[in-house]
Amino acid sequence: MSVIAILFPPLIAALLVCIPSRKGWASGVTVASSLVVLALATRMAWRIAEGGSFAGELGPGWDNWIAVDGLGALILLLIALVAATAAVYSVGYMAHGGLTPAKSKLYYANYNLFIFSMLAIPLLAEPTLVWIVVELTTLCSALLVSFENTREALEAAWKYVVLSLMGAGVALLGFLVLFAAMHAAGGGTYTWAGLVSAAPRMPPILLQTAFLLILIGLGTKVGLVPMHTWLPDAHSQAPSPVCALLSGIETTSILYVILRLFPVMQAVPAAHAQTWALVLGLISAGTAAFLLLQVSDYKRMFAFSTVEHMGIILTALGLGAAAADYGAMQQIVSHSVTKSFCFFAAGAVLLAVGTREIAAVRSLIRRSPFAGSALVFGGLAIAGAPPLAVFLSEFAILKAGLAQGHYVATGLLAAFIVIAFFGVMVHVNRMVFAPAENGAREADSPALPFSCRLVLIVAAVPVLVLGVYVPKPLHDLLAAAAAALTR
Amino acid sequence: MAERILFNVLQVAVVMAFAPLAAGVLSRLKEMVQSKRGPSIFQPYRDLWKLFHKDEIVSEDSSWIFRFTPYIVFVTPIFVATLIPVLTSYPLFFAFMGDMLGGGFVLALGGFFATLAAVDTANPYGPIGASRTRMVGFLAEPVFMIVFFTVSFVAGSTIPYIVQQKWVTPLANFFEPSHVLLMLAFLMLILAEGGRIPVDNPTGHFELAMIDESKSLEYSGRGFALVKWGGQMKLFVLLCIFLNVLVAPWGLASGQTLGAVLVAIPLVLLKIFCFLLVLVFIESSLAKLRLFRIAEFLGAAFVTSVAAMITRVFSA
Amino acid sequence: MSDATRLLLENLNALAAGLFLLTAFGIVAMRQARACLHLFIAQSLLLAASAALLGMRFDSGHLYGVALVNLISKPIIVPWLLRKTSPAEIYTRREIDQALNIPTALLIALALAIGAYFLGIPLANAVGPEFRGPNVPIGIAGLLLGAFTLTVRREALSLLIGLLAMENGAFMAGISIARDLGMLVELAIATDGLIIVFIMGVLVRAVQKHVGTTAVGELASLREAAAKPAAEEVLL
Repeated sequence: MSVIAILFPPLIAALLVCIPSRKGWASGVTVASSLVVLALATRMAWRIAEGGSFAGELGPGWDNWIAVDGLGALILLLIALVAATAAVYSVGYMAHGGLTPAKSKLYYANYNLFIFSMLAIPLLAEPTLVWIVVELTTLCSALLVSFENTREALEAAWKYVVLSLMGAGVALLGFLVLFAAMHAAGGGTYTWAGLVSAAPRMPPILLQTAFLLILIGLGTKVGLVPMHTWLPDAHSQAPSPVCALLSGIETTSILYVILRLFPVMQAVPAAHAQTWALVLGLISAGTAAFLLLQVSDYKRMFAFSTVEHMGIILTALGLGAAAADYGAMQQIVSHSVTKSFCFFAAGAVLLAVGTREIAAVRSLIRRSPFAGSALVFGGLAIAGAPPLAVFLSEFAILKAGLAQGHYVATGLLAAFIVIAFFGVMVHVNRMVFAPAENGAREADSPALPFSCRLVLIVAAVPVLVLGVYVPKPLHDLLAAAAAALTR
Repeated sequence: MAERILFNVLQVAVVMAFAPLAAGVLSRLKEMVQSKRGPSIFQPYRDLWKLFHKDEIVSEDSSWIFRFTPYIVFVTPIFVATLIPVLTSYPLFFAFMGDMLGGGFVLALGGFFATLAAVDTANPYGPIGASRTRMVGFLAEPVFMIVFFTVSFVAGSTIPYIVQQKWVTPLANFFEPSHVLLMLAFLMLILAEGGRIPVDNPTGHFELAMIDESKSLEYSGRGFALVKWGGQMKLFVLLCIFLNVLVAPWGLASGQTLGAVLVAIPLVLLKIFCFLLVLVFIESSLAKLRLFRIAEFLGAAFVTSVAAMITRVFSA
Repeated sequence: MSDATRLLLENLNALAAGLFLLTAFGIVAMRQARACLHLFIAQSLLLAASAALLGMRFDSGHLYGVALVNLISKPIIVPWLLRKTSPAEIYTRREIDQALNIPTALLIALALAIGAYFLGIPLANAVGPEFRGPNVPIGIAGLLLGAFTLTVRREALSLLIGLLAMENGAFMAGISIARDLGMLVELAIATDGLIIVFIMGVLVRAVQKHVGTTAVGELASLREAAAKPAAEEVLL
């Protein structure tokens, strides 16, 4: 029971939110449920890290539908973590805009459903059901993206839905072909584990087609170039806590589904799954790094950085070494905690200055020292400055790449990381430290809500700590997750 | 041998005799759908009779093409009628002379001369109609080609007598997607080539909107009668190809006796009557397309025919 | 089952698939939004017919279930949901300027369909000899044509239909190669399609209310601004 229990709090919260009640009820329920989810996820991750397992816990037959291993537990933990911080952040951030009760209900109900659908991704073992919850993440978050109902937000939501669902349609065919491959291999249970064990008997052409269809289809939702066009729009127009969810964990949890195929594909070296991942990853990282240089909206900047990081993770997987796999897992963790922090910081800046344009924000450090320093910290962290989390994981990946002899790919990746660092820091620097063009703009900014300050401080802790050392349980969890990537 | 020649002559006679009747029935049915009484179904015969007894006026500035064209327009459908199965399910004496492609070319020859004649008179409306007809023709041509190629691919032949057996033996073949799609594409072609709604309005009297009719505006008397009769026969022949080869290869005479062939006449006429009902339904429920939308209509026909081809070629 | 019946069922299934392909072309080319919806309904009916015929052919109760789900959800619930959620304006729209003119769009669509055959035939053969049939290539073609519709259309309803047509295409292939997928999954996928319609209907309503158009595809205010004065500023 303990495995599915994690799905209930968001569902119950989504229902409770709809009860008309005092102001603060909806946000309170959401925070409470996400803290429960975080506690449950931590317990599960702990158990996996200690070498335990959940197989057979739900009774016979359930293992064909629900399964948690190292990789699943890691993603689950990250979702729970970001969902909790974003929920607390929402309390102050959303109240700041003067939310009507109806709008607040809409927001928190969708928020909880979105969390529910994301939590279901790593829990489910049946690939087509996973496809359905992936669709659900899009559908539940669509109204969150369009929440502000501006022309831009609506456009972003529309693009997000249409392109994601378009990708999902392609991926659906991929999953059906995968099922057919299972059939051609003589049957077996259609689960991730069943796929891995049946893979050597599958016709290579089916496996390869399925992999490519799923890589392209779900890659759209992960934001891989050239299917990324919707991502900067949606990830910049949504309210900041939602951006943190979208960028921090939604992309990662969709990428998780692609990761599940890697052990399957290793049975067929002729399918070149790793080459595809390497090429697509490098293209994504490179394009995003150059696009970062010319953004004019600081939330879009972080969104492009998400594309870049997804590229880095995929490249790491394409390198095909155990150390690189471990680095990729580390990168997933550091990206999630850092990127969510970045969007919290961006939200704080937005509250402070009221515009998303980089050009309109100057000498932030004087107007709102707290938001300014958060932005600098977030910028440094996401760009990969030492000694922060992203630096450590990127370093691990580059090291593994060099050890593996992939000099060209590693060199390119390093170059892209440097360009992206430059791109992010130039913009952040200008926003925070450049003097204002005219003194009139240097009005005092409104004070940040308490919950936003709290979250910014709490969320900075893992970013700092993971840059210096990786705690033993987390290390075990990462190792277990990386082990799930090979047969 | 003598019998086969006799049947062939009979076949041509049927086409010549009943083509005006089909036109008369069609216009009467259309009027009835519009809650009007309409002219008698024999009106086309009276028109032809009247026209044959009128004097003919030919412009001094026109060349021999103008005078020569009515005969070509009149003769080409007759020529095609000898090639195709109108009454019999076995080839007749002259059938060796051409296949479906040949028939198509012969019909196109009539159209070619009609176009030349329209330009020849220097009447401003003639060339307008001629150029529009050519536009429709150019767009219809690839569809014709694909239809014929697919048919020949399925049946392994372009001889209509072989093709018609292919679709119904066994009967399940009738439901092959390529067959149904080909029927659809060919139906659209008949609408375009026969100058029917939605491509052209055969009963319109506004010269600027005409496509087919304006080519014969300069004709009078016997020439006009021949052009008109030829046009009716062309539609009749197209219907025979469509119905006897593609849609319903039943009801044709398979015996070699005169009786069997005579019995086939009412059956074939019945089939044509049923199809005319469909045609009236199409014409009454659609509006004429704007000129530049015709490309889209024929584009749809092209897509249908290619869909027929790919469902066949790739699943074979 | 006698050979004649089997052949008849296979041919009827192929016919349903062929007409399915035709409706996919129609969805690419139709100008009127409402006509698109009708074509989509016809397509779903053909999909259901194909599933039922394959069910008869292979004696699979599961495929009858798929046919039934398709019969109920798409022709009935989808239009009903659309009426409930989105403004009536989406039905009345005609697309005057598509991204491509219709003959060009149709030609590209044809090329896509032929490409789908090259892709689909080896796939179907790899699954097994009994999967040779038109379903897989035509399903892939339906998927591609749906995606193509999404790229050339601007109107909300036609875009939504394009998405649903993609899903129909995936299913068309699925009923042939993944015959025993499990009823739970099928039902979940059908429900999912309805949620898509609901959410997109709500979005269209919001767009119409706040932006004043239903030509959602024409919204294009979000992009990297090229020549902002800030870009010329000297780097710090």
